[in-house]
Amino acid sequence: MIRFLSASTQMLVCGAILCVYTTPTFAADEYDYDLVHSSVSFKARHLDIGWIHGRFNDVAGKFSIDREDPSKSTFSLTIKTDSVDTANEARDKHLRQPDYFDTKQYPTIEFKSTSTKAIDGGYEVTGDFTMHGTTNKITIVLMGGKEHSFKNVKRVAFSTELALKRSDYGFDKNAIGAIGDKALIMIDCEGVRK
Amino acid sequence: MGIAAAASVVVVLVMLALSRSINETKLNVACVFGIGIGLAIGNAVLALNLSWPPRNGLDRLLMIVVPAVLGVELIAGFNRVPRVAAWLLRISLSLATPRILLNGSVYLSSSGDWTAWRAGATIVVCGLGLALVWSLLSWLSRRSGGLSISFALCLAIQCSGVAVMLAGYIKGGAAAIPFVATLLAVSLALRVVTKYAASRVEIDKPNGFVAAGIVGVGVVSLFSLLFIGRFFGDISTGPAFTILLAPLLCWTTELPPLRNRKPWFVASCRLALVAIPLLVVVIAGKREFDREMSPLLGKASKNDGTTQQTSHRLS
Repeated sequence: MIRFLSASTQMLVCGAILCVYTTPTFAADEYDYDLVHSSVSFKARHLDIGWIHGRFNDVAGKFSIDREDPSKSTFSLTIKTDSVDTANEARDKHLRQPDYFDTKQYPTIEFKSTSTKAIDGGYEVTGDFTMHGTTNKITIVLMGGKEHSFKNVKRVAFSTELALKRSDYGFDKNAIGAIGDKALIMIDCEGVRK
Repeated sequence: MGIAAAASVVVVLVMLALSRSINETKLNVACVFGIGIGLAIGNAVLALNLSWPPRNGLDRLLMIVVPAVLGVELIAGFNRVPRVAAWLLRISLSLATPRILLNGSVYLSSSGDWTAWRAGATIVVCGLGLALVWSLLSWLSRRSGGLSISFALCLAIQCSGVAVMLAGYIKGGAAAIPFVATLLAVSLALRVVTKYAASRVEIDKPNGFVAAGIVGVGVVSLFSLLFIGRFFGDISTGPAFTILLAPLLCWTTELPPLRNRKPWFVASCRLALVAIPLLVVVIAGKREFDREMSPLLGKASKNDGTTQQTSHRLS
Protein backbone atom coordinates (compact mmCIF):
# COMPACT_ATOMS: atom_id res chain seq x y z
CA MET A 1 0.00 0.00 0.00
CA ILE A 2 2.86 2.30 0.78
CA ARG A 3 4.32 1.58 -2.71
CA PHE A 4 0.89 2.26 -4.26
CA LEU A 5 0.61 5.60 -2.44
CA SER A 6 4.08 6.48 -3.52
CA ALA A 7 3.20 5.64 -7.14
CA SER A 8 0.04 7.78 -6.97
CA THR A 9 1.93 10.62 -5.40
CA GLN A 10 4.55 10.34 -8.06
CA MET A 11 1.91 10.56 -10.77
CA LEU A 12 0.35 13.58 -9.10
CA VAL A 13 3.68 15.30 -8.83
CA CYS A 14 4.52 14.54 -12.48
CA GLY A 15 1.14 15.85 -13.58
CA ALA A 16 1.62 19.04 -11.64
CA ILE A 17 5.04 19.57 -13.12
CA LEU A 18 3.65 19.04 -16.60
CA CYS A 19 0.90 21.59 -15.99
CA VAL A 20 3.37 24.17 -14.80
CA TYR A 21 5.93 23.79 -17.55
CA THR A 22 3.68 23.16 -20.55
CA THR A 23 2.61 26.48 -22.18
CA PRO A 24 -0.95 26.42 -23.48
CA THR A 25 -1.07 27.26 -27.27
CA PHE A 26 -3.87 29.31 -28.84
CA ALA A 27 -4.21 29.38 -32.70
CA ALA A 28 -4.23 32.81 -34.42
CA ASP A 29 -7.67 34.32 -35.09
CA GLU A 30 -8.49 34.18 -38.80
CA TYR A 31 -10.53 36.99 -40.36
CA ASP A 32 -12.04 37.39 -43.78
CA TYR A 33 -12.15 40.83 -45.40
CA ASP A 34 -15.68 42.25 -45.14
CA LEU A 35 -16.25 44.08 -48.43
CA VAL A 36 -19.48 45.71 -47.25
CA HIS A 37 -17.88 47.48 -44.31
CA SER A 38 -14.51 48.23 -45.84
CA SER A 39 -13.10 50.53 -48.47
CA VAL A 40 -9.98 50.95 -50.55
CA SER A 41 -9.80 54.44 -51.99
CA PHE A 42 -7.13 56.58 -53.57
CA LYS A 43 -6.43 60.09 -54.73
CA ALA A 44 -3.97 61.51 -57.23
CA ARG A 45 -3.06 65.03 -58.28
CA HIS A 46 -4.73 66.50 -61.36
CA LEU A 47 -2.71 69.16 -63.20
CA ASP A 48 -0.92 69.74 -59.88
CA ILE A 49 -3.81 71.88 -58.67
CA GLY A 50 -6.54 69.51 -57.57
CA TRP A 51 -7.20 65.89 -56.66
CA ILE A 52 -8.98 63.08 -58.41
CA HIS A 53 -10.57 60.61 -56.05
CA GLY A 54 -11.44 57.02 -56.75
CA ARG A 55 -11.98 53.66 -55.17
CA PHE A 56 -11.78 49.97 -55.93
CA ASN A 57 -15.06 48.14 -55.46
CA ASP A 58 -13.89 44.53 -55.66
CA VAL A 59 -11.45 43.70 -52.90
CA ALA A 60 -10.79 40.46 -51.02
CA GLY A 61 -8.40 39.51 -48.27
CA LYS A 62 -7.56 37.57 -45.18
CA PHE A 63 -5.71 38.33 -42.04
CA SER A 64 -4.80 36.27 -39.06
CA ILE A 65 -3.99 37.91 -35.77
CA ASP A 66 -1.98 36.11 -33.14
CA ARG A 67 -2.42 38.18 -30.02
CA GLU A 68 0.06 36.08 -28.06
CA ASP A 69 2.81 36.44 -30.65
CA PRO A 70 2.02 39.36 -33.00
CA SER A 71 5.01 38.56 -35.18
CA LYS A 72 3.08 35.53 -36.41
CA SER A 73 0.17 37.67 -37.63
CA THR A 74 -0.32 37.78 -41.39
CA PHE A 75 -2.19 40.11 -43.72
CA SER A 76 -3.07 39.75 -47.37
CA LEU A 77 -5.21 41.82 -49.71
CA THR A 78 -6.17 41.38 -53.36
CA ILE A 79 -7.72 44.26 -55.32
CA LYS A 80 -9.34 43.73 -58.72
CA THR A 81 -8.08 46.59 -60.86
CA ASP A 82 -11.09 46.30 -63.17
CA SER A 83 -13.26 47.58 -60.30
CA VAL A 84 -11.68 51.04 -60.35
CA ASP A 85 -14.37 53.67 -59.86
CA THR A 86 -13.81 57.42 -60.10
CA ALA A 87 -17.50 58.28 -60.56
CA ASN A 88 -16.97 58.86 -64.29
CA GLU A 89 -17.44 55.90 -66.62
CA ALA A 90 -15.33 57.38 -69.45
CA ARG A 91 -12.43 58.05 -67.10
CA ASP A 92 -12.77 54.57 -65.57
CA LYS A 93 -12.60 53.00 -69.05
CA HIS A 94 -9.50 55.05 -69.75
CA LEU A 95 -7.88 54.01 -66.46
CA ARG A 96 -8.43 50.34 -67.30
CA GLN A 97 -6.44 50.67 -70.53
CA PRO A 98 -2.71 49.95 -70.97
CA ASP A 99 -1.75 53.60 -70.50
CA TYR A 100 -2.75 53.23 -66.83
CA PHE A 101 -3.76 50.10 -64.92
CA ASP A 102 -3.78 47.77 -67.97
CA THR A 103 -6.38 45.60 -66.26
CA LYS A 104 -6.37 42.89 -68.95
CA GLN A 105 -2.65 42.33 -68.40
CA TYR A 106 -2.50 43.04 -64.65
CA PRO A 107 -5.91 42.16 -63.22
CA THR A 108 -4.97 42.50 -59.55
CA ILE A 109 -3.09 44.61 -57.06
CA GLU A 110 -1.83 42.48 -54.19
CA PHE A 111 -0.29 42.86 -50.79
CA LYS A 112 1.16 39.92 -48.82
CA SER A 113 2.79 40.47 -45.50
CA THR A 114 6.20 39.00 -44.73
CA SER A 115 6.74 40.30 -41.21
CA THR A 116 4.62 41.92 -38.52
CA LYS A 117 5.52 43.91 -35.45
CA ALA A 118 3.17 45.11 -32.73
CA ILE A 119 3.25 48.84 -32.09
CA ASP A 120 1.26 51.15 -29.89
CA GLY A 121 -2.28 51.11 -31.30
CA GLY A 122 -1.78 48.56 -34.06
CA TYR A 123 0.81 46.76 -36.13
CA GLU A 124 3.70 47.67 -38.37
CA VAL A 125 3.50 45.29 -41.32
CA THR A 126 6.16 44.78 -43.96
CA GLY A 127 5.27 42.92 -47.11
CA ASP A 128 5.32 42.59 -50.88
CA PHE A 129 3.13 45.06 -52.74
CA THR A 130 2.54 44.03 -56.35
CA MET A 131 0.98 46.41 -58.83
CA HIS A 132 1.22 46.56 -62.61
CA GLY A 133 3.54 43.56 -62.66
CA THR A 134 6.11 45.10 -60.32
CA THR A 135 6.67 44.00 -56.71
CA ASN A 136 8.22 46.28 -54.11
CA LYS A 137 8.71 45.78 -50.41
CA ILE A 138 6.72 48.31 -48.39
CA THR A 139 5.97 48.86 -44.74
CA ILE A 140 2.54 50.01 -43.65
CA VAL A 141 1.17 50.95 -40.26
CA LEU A 142 -2.15 49.32 -39.47
CA MET A 143 -3.94 51.20 -36.73
CA GLY A 144 -6.70 49.36 -34.92
CA GLY A 145 -7.06 45.67 -34.16
CA LYS A 146 -9.54 45.80 -31.32
CA GLU A 147 -12.04 42.99 -31.57
CA HIS A 148 -15.76 43.69 -31.24
CA SER A 149 -18.56 41.19 -31.09
CA PHE A 150 -21.85 42.08 -32.78
CA LYS A 151 -24.72 39.62 -33.15
CA ASN A 152 -22.41 36.72 -32.38
CA VAL A 153 -20.01 37.77 -35.11
CA LYS A 154 -16.53 38.85 -34.09
CA ARG A 155 -15.14 41.80 -36.02
CA VAL A 156 -11.84 43.62 -36.07
CA ALA A 157 -10.92 46.74 -38.04
CA PHE A 158 -7.75 48.41 -39.27
CA SER A 159 -6.93 51.64 -41.10
CA THR A 160 -3.88 52.61 -43.03
CA GLU A 161 -2.66 55.13 -45.57
CA LEU A 162 0.23 54.74 -47.94
CA ALA A 163 1.81 56.86 -50.61
CA LEU A 164 3.44 55.38 -53.66
CA LYS A 165 4.72 56.51 -57.02
CA ARG A 166 3.26 55.09 -60.20
CA SER A 167 6.68 55.27 -61.85
CA ASP A 168 8.00 52.77 -59.26
CA TYR A 169 5.49 50.25 -60.53
CA GLY A 170 6.12 50.33 -64.25
CA PHE A 171 3.37 52.73 -65.23
CA ASP A 172 3.95 54.46 -68.53
CA LYS A 173 6.09 57.53 -67.86
CA ASN A 174 4.41 59.34 -70.76
CA ALA A 175 1.10 59.02 -68.92
CA ILE A 176 2.50 60.81 -65.88
CA GLY A 177 1.86 64.47 -66.28
CA ALA A 178 -1.73 65.60 -66.12
CA ILE A 179 -2.23 62.94 -63.48
CA GLY A 180 0.52 63.10 -60.86
CA ASP A 181 3.06 60.37 -60.25
CA LYS A 182 2.31 60.10 -56.56
CA ALA A 183 -0.91 58.44 -55.40
CA LEU A 184 -2.28 58.22 -51.87
CA ILE A 185 -4.11 55.02 -50.97
CA MET A 186 -6.45 54.85 -47.99
CA ILE A 187 -7.53 51.43 -46.72
CA ASP A 188 -10.18 50.97 -44.06
CA CYS A 189 -10.86 47.29 -43.63
CA GLU A 190 -13.03 45.26 -41.36
CA GLY A 191 -12.52 41.57 -40.90
CA VAL A 192 -15.08 39.00 -39.86
CA ARG A 193 -14.02 36.01 -37.83
CA LYS A 194 -14.98 32.65 -39.17
CA MET B 1 8.95 60.48 -87.91
CA GLY B 2 10.88 62.18 -90.66
CA ILE B 3 14.03 60.75 -89.11
CA ALA B 4 12.65 57.20 -89.26
CA ALA B 5 11.54 57.65 -92.86
CA ALA B 6 14.86 59.20 -93.85
CA ALA B 7 16.79 56.40 -92.20
CA SER B 8 14.72 53.79 -94.05
CA VAL B 9 15.31 55.52 -97.40
CA VAL B 10 19.04 55.84 -96.78
CA VAL B 11 19.38 52.16 -95.86
CA VAL B 12 17.47 51.03 -98.96
CA LEU B 13 19.34 53.31 -101.35
CA VAL B 14 22.77 52.49 -99.92
CA MET B 15 22.16 48.74 -100.00
CA LEU B 16 20.91 48.86 -103.58
CA ALA B 17 23.61 51.26 -104.72
CA LEU B 18 26.22 48.71 -103.64
CA SER B 19 24.69 46.05 -105.94
CA ARG B 20 25.64 45.81 -109.59
CA SER B 21 22.40 44.16 -110.55
CA ILE B 22 19.17 44.42 -108.60
CA ASN B 23 16.82 41.47 -108.47
CA GLU B 24 13.72 40.79 -106.45
CA THR B 25 15.67 39.19 -103.62
CA LYS B 26 17.97 42.19 -103.18
CA LEU B 27 15.03 44.58 -103.32
CA ASN B 28 13.31 42.56 -100.62
CA VAL B 29 16.42 42.37 -98.42
CA ALA B 30 16.98 46.12 -98.69
CA CYS B 31 13.32 46.70 -97.88
CA VAL B 32 13.42 44.45 -94.78
CA PHE B 33 16.53 46.13 -93.41
CA GLY B 34 15.19 49.58 -94.23
CA ILE B 35 11.92 48.90 -92.40
CA GLY B 36 13.68 47.32 -89.41
CA ILE B 37 16.12 50.16 -88.89
CA GLY B 38 13.48 52.80 -89.54
CA LEU B 39 11.15 51.22 -86.98
CA ALA B 40 13.88 51.02 -84.36
CA ILE B 41 14.69 54.70 -84.81
CA GLY B 42 11.03 55.71 -84.96
CA ASN B 43 10.17 53.88 -81.72
CA ALA B 44 13.17 55.46 -80.00
CA VAL B 45 12.15 58.95 -81.15
CA LEU B 46 8.60 58.36 -79.88
CA ALA B 47 10.05 57.28 -76.51
CA LEU B 48 7.65 54.35 -76.28
CA ASN B 49 9.60 53.09 -73.21
CA LEU B 50 9.67 49.48 -74.34
CA SER B 51 10.89 46.97 -71.77
CA TRP B 52 12.54 43.58 -71.84
CA PRO B 53 11.13 41.17 -70.90
CA PRO B 54 7.99 42.53 -72.53
CA ARG B 55 5.41 43.82 -70.04
CA ASN B 56 2.40 44.31 -72.28
CA GLY B 57 0.92 43.65 -75.70
CA LEU B 58 2.68 46.57 -77.37
CA ASP B 59 6.07 45.45 -76.03
CA ARG B 60 5.42 41.96 -77.38
CA LEU B 61 4.42 43.36 -80.78
CA LEU B 62 7.47 45.58 -81.18
CA MET B 63 10.05 43.28 -79.59
CA ILE B 64 8.86 39.83 -80.68
CA VAL B 65 6.32 39.92 -83.50
CA VAL B 66 7.93 42.63 -85.64
CA PRO B 67 11.43 41.07 -85.53
CA ALA B 68 9.79 37.72 -86.32
CA VAL B 69 7.97 39.03 -89.39
CA LEU B 70 11.11 40.80 -90.59
CA GLY B 71 13.00 37.52 -90.21
CA VAL B 72 10.30 35.55 -92.01
CA GLU B 73 10.17 38.01 -94.91
CA LEU B 74 13.97 38.04 -95.13
CA ILE B 75 14.09 34.25 -95.41
CA ALA B 76 11.05 34.02 -97.68
CA GLY B 77 12.58 36.54 -100.07
CA PHE B 78 15.43 34.26 -101.12
CA ASN B 79 14.87 32.38 -104.38
CA ARG B 80 16.21 29.15 -102.92
CA VAL B 81 13.42 29.05 -100.38
CA PRO B 82 10.42 27.26 -101.96
CA ARG B 83 7.19 29.24 -101.99
CA VAL B 84 5.47 26.51 -100.00
CA ALA B 85 8.07 26.79 -97.25
CA ALA B 86 7.80 30.58 -97.27
CA TRP B 87 4.05 30.41 -96.85
CA LEU B 88 4.33 27.79 -94.13
CA LEU B 89 6.51 30.25 -92.24
CA ARG B 90 4.02 33.06 -92.78
CA ILE B 91 1.04 30.95 -91.73
CA SER B 92 2.92 29.75 -88.63
CA LEU B 93 3.67 33.34 -87.68
CA SER B 94 0.04 34.28 -88.33
CA LEU B 95 -1.18 31.59 -85.94
CA ALA B 96 1.48 32.45 -83.35
CA THR B 97 0.90 36.22 -83.37
CA PRO B 98 -2.39 36.28 -81.41
CA ARG B 99 -0.96 33.86 -78.84
CA ILE B 100 2.15 35.99 -78.42
CA LEU B 101 0.17 39.20 -78.06
CA LEU B 102 -2.15 37.69 -75.42
CA ASN B 103 0.65 36.16 -73.37
CA GLY B 104 0.25 36.61 -69.61
CA SER B 105 -3.13 38.32 -69.94
CA VAL B 106 -6.47 37.48 -68.32
CA TYR B 107 -7.60 35.87 -71.58
CA LEU B 108 -5.14 33.00 -71.15
CA SER B 109 -5.27 32.79 -67.38
CA SER B 110 -7.09 29.92 -65.68
CA SER B 111 -8.68 32.43 -63.30
CA GLY B 112 -9.78 34.74 -66.11
CA ASP B 113 -13.18 35.04 -67.79
CA TRP B 114 -12.28 32.90 -70.81
CA THR B 115 -12.25 29.14 -70.90
CA ALA B 116 -9.34 27.38 -72.58
CA TRP B 117 -11.63 26.48 -75.49
CA ARG B 118 -12.69 30.06 -76.04
CA ALA B 119 -9.11 31.29 -75.88
CA GLY B 120 -7.94 28.61 -78.30
CA ALA B 121 -10.77 29.28 -80.74
CA THR B 122 -10.16 33.03 -80.68
CA ILE B 123 -6.43 32.58 -81.30
CA VAL B 124 -7.01 30.17 -84.18
CA VAL B 125 -9.75 32.27 -85.82
CA CYS B 126 -7.74 35.49 -85.51
CA GLY B 127 -4.60 33.75 -86.77
CA LEU B 128 -6.41 32.34 -89.78
CA GLY B 129 -7.94 35.76 -90.46
CA LEU B 130 -4.50 37.32 -90.46
CA ALA B 131 -3.17 34.60 -92.77
CA LEU B 132 -6.11 35.12 -95.16
CA VAL B 133 -5.65 38.92 -95.40
CA TRP B 134 -1.89 38.45 -95.78
CA SER B 135 -2.25 35.91 -98.57
CA LEU B 136 -4.89 37.93 -100.47
CA LEU B 137 -2.86 41.12 -100.40
CA SER B 138 0.30 39.26 -101.29
CA TRP B 139 -1.49 37.62 -104.25
CA LEU B 140 -2.77 41.02 -105.43
CA SER B 141 0.70 42.54 -105.17
CA ARG B 142 2.13 39.77 -107.37
CA ARG B 143 -0.83 39.82 -109.78
CA SER B 144 -1.04 43.51 -110.51
CA GLY B 145 1.13 45.29 -107.93
CA GLY B 146 1.34 49.04 -107.66
CA LEU B 147 2.40 51.59 -105.11
CA SER B 148 -1.28 51.98 -104.22
CA ILE B 149 -1.22 48.68 -102.30
CA SER B 150 1.50 50.02 -99.99
CA PHE B 151 -0.38 53.32 -99.68
CA ALA B 152 -3.63 51.49 -98.88
CA LEU B 153 -1.87 49.52 -96.14
CA CYS B 154 -0.36 52.72 -94.73
CA LEU B 155 -3.78 54.40 -94.77
CA ALA B 156 -5.27 51.49 -92.85
CA ILE B 157 -2.41 51.40 -90.32
CA GLN B 158 -2.71 55.14 -89.68
CA CYS B 159 -6.46 54.77 -89.30
CA SER B 160 -5.94 51.93 -86.82
CA GLY B 161 -3.62 54.17 -84.81
CA VAL B 162 -6.18 56.96 -84.75
CA ALA B 163 -8.99 54.57 -83.82
CA VAL B 164 -6.96 53.05 -80.97
CA MET B 165 -6.07 56.54 -79.69
CA LEU B 166 -9.66 57.75 -79.87
CA ALA B 167 -10.72 54.66 -77.91
CA GLY B 168 -8.36 55.79 -75.13
CA TYR B 169 -5.05 53.97 -75.63
CA ILE B 170 -2.72 56.82 -76.58
CA LYS B 171 0.58 54.94 -76.66
CA GLY B 172 -0.90 52.09 -78.67
CA GLY B 173 -2.18 54.47 -81.30
CA ALA B 174 1.09 56.39 -81.45
CA ALA B 175 2.95 53.15 -82.24
CA ALA B 176 1.29 53.17 -85.68
CA ILE B 177 3.22 56.26 -86.77
CA PRO B 178 6.67 54.66 -87.26
CA PHE B 179 5.07 51.82 -89.26
CA VAL B 180 3.38 54.28 -91.62
CA ALA B 181 6.51 56.40 -92.00
CA THR B 182 8.87 53.51 -92.73
CA LEU B 183 6.52 51.57 -95.03
CA LEU B 184 5.77 54.70 -97.07
CA ALA B 185 9.43 55.67 -97.23
CA VAL B 186 10.62 52.22 -98.26
CA SER B 187 7.86 51.92 -100.90
CA LEU B 188 8.80 55.26 -102.43
CA ALA B 189 12.51 54.44 -102.30
CA LEU B 190 11.94 51.14 -104.12
CA ARG B 191 9.82 52.94 -106.70
CA VAL B 192 12.58 55.48 -107.28
CA VAL B 193 15.15 52.71 -107.72
CA THR B 194 13.02 50.65 -110.15
CA LYS B 195 12.23 53.77 -112.19
CA TYR B 196 15.58 55.58 -112.33
CA ALA B 197 17.94 52.60 -112.19
CA ALA B 198 15.83 50.49 -114.54
CA SER B 199 18.87 49.28 -116.48
CA ARG B 200 20.17 47.47 -113.36
CA VAL B 201 16.81 46.08 -112.29
CA GLU B 202 16.10 42.49 -113.28
CA ILE B 203 12.46 41.96 -112.39
CA ASP B 204 9.36 41.27 -114.50
CA LYS B 205 7.16 44.26 -113.65
CA PRO B 206 9.43 46.95 -112.27
CA ASN B 207 6.74 49.64 -112.33
CA GLY B 208 4.27 47.66 -110.29
CA PHE B 209 6.73 45.94 -107.97
CA VAL B 210 5.73 45.68 -104.32
CA ALA B 211 8.27 44.00 -102.06
CA ALA B 212 6.86 41.06 -100.10
CA GLY B 213 8.41 42.53 -96.96
CA ILE B 214 6.27 45.64 -97.23
CA VAL B 215 3.08 43.58 -97.49
CA GLY B 216 4.15 41.24 -94.68
CA VAL B 217 5.17 43.91 -92.19
CA GLY B 218 2.22 46.08 -93.18
CA VAL B 219 -0.42 43.39 -92.72
CA VAL B 220 1.03 41.96 -89.51
CA SER B 221 1.45 45.40 -87.93
CA LEU B 222 -2.08 46.42 -88.96
CA PHE B 223 -3.55 43.23 -87.49
CA SER B 224 -1.49 43.46 -84.30
CA LEU B 225 -2.33 47.10 -83.57
CA LEU B 226 -6.03 46.35 -84.01
CA PHE B 227 -5.71 43.17 -81.93
CA ILE B 228 -4.06 45.05 -79.08
CA GLY B 229 -6.61 47.84 -79.36
CA ARG B 230 -9.45 45.31 -79.24
CA PHE B 231 -8.26 43.06 -76.41
CA PHE B 232 -6.32 45.51 -74.23
CA GLY B 233 -7.81 48.83 -75.30
CA ASP B 234 -11.41 49.75 -75.91
CA ILE B 235 -11.83 49.53 -79.68
CA SER B 236 -14.82 47.42 -80.62
CA THR B 237 -14.84 44.40 -82.94
CA GLY B 238 -16.79 46.05 -85.79
CA PRO B 239 -14.42 48.96 -86.42
CA ALA B 240 -11.40 46.66 -85.93
CA PHE B 241 -12.68 44.25 -88.61
CA THR B 242 -13.54 47.13 -90.94
CA ILE B 243 -10.06 48.59 -90.75
CA LEU B 244 -8.37 45.20 -91.14
CA LEU B 245 -10.40 44.28 -94.22
CA ALA B 246 -10.36 47.73 -95.86
CA PRO B 247 -7.09 47.18 -97.82
CA LEU B 248 -8.71 44.13 -99.47
CA LEU B 249 -10.98 46.57 -101.32
CA CYS B 250 -7.99 47.04 -103.64
CA TRP B 251 -9.16 43.75 -105.20
CA THR B 252 -12.14 45.61 -106.61
CA THR B 253 -9.92 47.02 -109.35
CA GLU B 254 -9.34 43.46 -110.61
CA LEU B 255 -12.92 43.43 -111.87
CA PRO B 256 -13.09 43.47 -115.70
CA PRO B 257 -14.35 47.09 -116.11
CA LEU B 258 -11.43 48.47 -114.09
CA ARG B 259 -8.66 45.97 -114.65
CA ASN B 260 -7.20 47.36 -117.86
CA ARG B 261 -7.52 51.03 -117.08
CA LYS B 262 -4.52 53.31 -116.80
CA PRO B 263 -2.36 52.74 -113.70
CA TRP B 264 -3.13 56.16 -112.17
CA PHE B 265 -6.87 55.48 -112.49
CA VAL B 266 -6.56 52.05 -110.91
CA ALA B 267 -4.46 53.50 -108.07
CA SER B 268 -6.94 56.32 -107.45
CA CYS B 269 -9.87 53.89 -107.38
CA ARG B 270 -8.06 51.65 -104.92
CA LEU B 271 -7.20 54.46 -102.54
CA ALA B 272 -10.68 55.98 -102.75
CA LEU B 273 -12.38 52.65 -102.07
CA VAL B 274 -10.10 51.90 -99.12
CA ALA B 275 -10.43 55.42 -97.72
CA ILE B 276 -14.25 55.36 -97.54
CA PRO B 277 -14.74 52.76 -94.78
CA LEU B 278 -11.67 54.07 -92.94
CA LEU B 279 -13.15 57.56 -92.91
CA VAL B 280 -16.46 56.23 -91.59
CA VAL B 281 -14.66 54.45 -88.74
CA VAL B 282 -12.59 57.52 -87.83
CA ILE B 283 -15.61 59.84 -87.89
CA ALA B 284 -17.64 57.46 -85.73
CA GLY B 285 -14.71 57.09 -83.35
CA LYS B 286 -14.27 60.85 -83.10
CA ARG B 287 -17.95 61.34 -82.28
CA GLU B 288 -17.77 58.70 -79.59
CA PHE B 289 -14.61 60.32 -78.21
CA ASP B 290 -16.20 63.77 -78.12
CA ARG B 291 -19.25 62.39 -76.37
CA GLU B 292 -17.40 60.46 -73.69
CA MET B 293 -14.24 62.44 -73.11
CA SER B 294 -15.48 66.02 -73.36
CA PRO B 295 -16.17 66.41 -69.63
CA LEU B 296 -12.67 65.17 -68.86
CA LEU B 297 -11.07 67.56 -71.32
CA GLY B 298 -12.67 70.61 -69.78
CA LYS B 299 -15.34 71.33 -72.35
CA ALA B 300 -18.37 73.02 -70.79
CA SER B 301 -21.67 71.17 -70.91
CA LYS B 302 -25.05 72.69 -71.51
CA ASN B 303 -27.94 72.01 -69.12
CA ASP B 304 -29.42 69.51 -71.59
CA GLY B 305 -26.29 67.33 -71.32
CA THR B 306 -24.75 68.19 -74.71
CA THR B 307 -21.35 69.78 -74.86
CA GLN B 308 -20.15 73.00 -76.37
CA GLN B 309 -16.73 74.38 -77.02
CA THR B 310 -15.73 77.18 -74.69
CA SER B 311 -14.58 80.12 -76.73
CA HIS B 312 -12.85 83.31 -75.78
CA ARG B 313 -13.47 86.41 -77.82
CA LEU B 314 -11.32 89.49 -77.78
CA SER B 315 -13.60 92.45 -77.58
